[in-house]
Amino acid sequence: MAKSVLVVGGGPAGLAAARTLGKLGIPTILVEKEQKLGGRPVLEDYHTLIPRKMTPQQVIGPFIEEVQNSPNVDVKLGVELEACEGEAPNFKVKLSNGEEHEVGAIVVATGFQHFDAKRKGELGYGIYPDVITNLELEQMFSREGKLYRPSNGQMPKRVAFVFCVGSRDRQLGVTNVHCCRYGCALSGLQGSEIREKYPDVDVFCYYMDVRTYGTWEYPFYWAPQEKYGVRYVRGRIAEITYSPTDGRLRVKHEDTIVQRPAEIPMDLVVLVLGMEPSEGTKKVAKILGLAQDPDSQFLLPAEDAGSNIISNKAGVFIAGACKGPIDIESSLSEGEAAGAEAATFIGAKVSA
Amino acid sequence: MAIHERSLVDPERVLRKDRLVIDGVDVSGDWNLIILPRVVNDYDLEFYDEVIAQPEGKTIVNCYQCSYCTASCPVHNYWDERYNPRHFIYLARLGLIDELQKRADVMWRCVSCHKCTHRCPKGVLVEEVLKAILRVMAKRGIIEEYPSKKFDKFFLDSVYEYGRIEDGELLFGWIEKQGYQVVKDPILKKPIPFIGGVPEWLKELAAKPLKNMNIGFLILNAKHMLFHPRTKNWNKFKQVLRKVMEEEGVYTH
Repeated sequence: MAKSVLVVGGGPAGLAAARTLGKLGIPTILVEKEQKLGGRPVLEDYHTLIPRKMTPQQVIGPFIEEVQNSPNVDVKLGVELEACEGEAPNFKVKLSNGEEHEVGAIVVATGFQHFDAKRKGELGYGIYPDVITNLELEQMFSREGKLYRPSNGQMPKRVAFVFCVGSRDRQLGVTNVHCCRYGCALSGLQGSEIREKYPDVDVFCYYMDVRTYGTWEYPFYWAPQEKYGVRYVRGRIAEITYSPTDGRLRVKHEDTIVQRPAEIPMDLVVLVLGMEPSEGTKKVAKILGLAQDPDSQFLLPAEDAGSNIISNKAGVFIAGACKGPIDIESSLSEGEAAGAEAATFIGAKVSA
Repeated sequence: MAIHERSLVDPERVLRKDRLVIDGVDVSGDWNLIILPRVVNDYDLEFYDEVIAQPEGKTIVNCYQCSYCTASCPVHNYWDERYNPRHFIYLARLGLIDELQKRADVMWRCVSCHKCTHRCPKGVLVEEVLKAILRVMAKRGIIEEYPSKKFDKFFLDSVYEYGRIEDGELLFGWIEKQGYQVVKDPILKKPIPFIGGVPEWLKELAAKPLKNMNIGFLILNAKHMLFHPRTKNWNKFKQVLRKVMEEEGVYTH
């Protein structure tokens, strides 16, 4: 019986799984498609992670370091899973670099990708330079450390957040009807950061409903309003246009509380992007025969398992954003759980 | 050009000109009539800043539009649906002035039952916030000074001066502030009951409790009205009150 574990994906969940396996002394192979560990938050330079308001370096940095220094974890960058034969606990896996390995269990942590805002043409992304995504706003903070309008480099007087772009939207097909979970909270945080640093900038959040669930309610919904003066307007933005007379954008919507149409001038519009399963997630699901949600294509846990890291296939565990939108701390803890679960699956025991 | 279903269009949004020239082009005839759109073009964010600057207005930032206040409000429930505290807060926050103005005739109708304030899950002092909104509206000249404010001032003056209120005096004071003629005796300048321009219904209303009142209590009331006692050591309290009122920016004497 093979005594090693394959972890697919070097993002938060995959790193957490590999770290746990490494600490338990189990030979682990970690394959990552990109040339760098850390997943979306590190690769795309997120500025602050919800809900702890820490930087990716603070959160994921220690995991990367521990995994890289672990004698038990073999990190393979630029490598993908190509094929898998056999059943648990004797999987024969083939990697894209030509290597073949025998593993006893597999942890899938292949993650998500951001929605492509160009698909919502009426919102003007890619047409008007001052319409940006919340990812680009994060990068504006983390890479350049300042807020500006891409069209002229000046400070905006007004910033609008457009919620649910690529989420809860049947117009895009059945693939994007789910809630992205993080968008409301991240917008509250980004709005607060803007207001804190630039108190003269007015920030508006256009929402249908605000889903800062659980303990996120105060820090990401109440505090932005009570402490930082972020304004919430109920109404989904239906169209973004540009007025050449004043060089500002117009956000067109119905204010559903006032029940009147509105076209309000804005200087910078931030689209709050939804989450989709990554290409890697879809590919790995085919290779391993994992159950997928028929609509969103995210991976589904086994129907008879209460825990959501147990897949429909024995010996394969799923963790993080490959199962659907998730925040950073849940992603890490799911990775840790999947790592421990994989360890027990291959029969590892703590010797006295 | 005729408008079909004209009744559906607000009259103030219909512009009609016999002759109309736009950019030098004569568009009289078919184009002599324009319906202005219902679209909101901008917010007046300064309005909100002014509300927050009022001492009573600060808690407006807490509102999350659950409408606990409006559901509890007797004015909304029994009088006029346009009286909606939750909605007033929303309009004030975005500075939708024309929408506020549409409701100016009902906005001062608060009966100060304070159910809204006691029940608000976010700690908004709803009744106070509405007073702040009304004050900013009055300052901008988009609402008349609300009549109940006259009584508020009379009440406050009375407490400020004597440390207490006198029921009889308050009643006559209210009658006088409503604009009714009250006849006063020439020496003490106190109102003489039931003569002058006071309407019959008001006389009846005032006489009702008198009929059933204990004679000793009645005399005590009359005595207090004439010689207005003060709360013990009131002058000391008054100084403290003045200081607090000055600090909070409310009006002082």
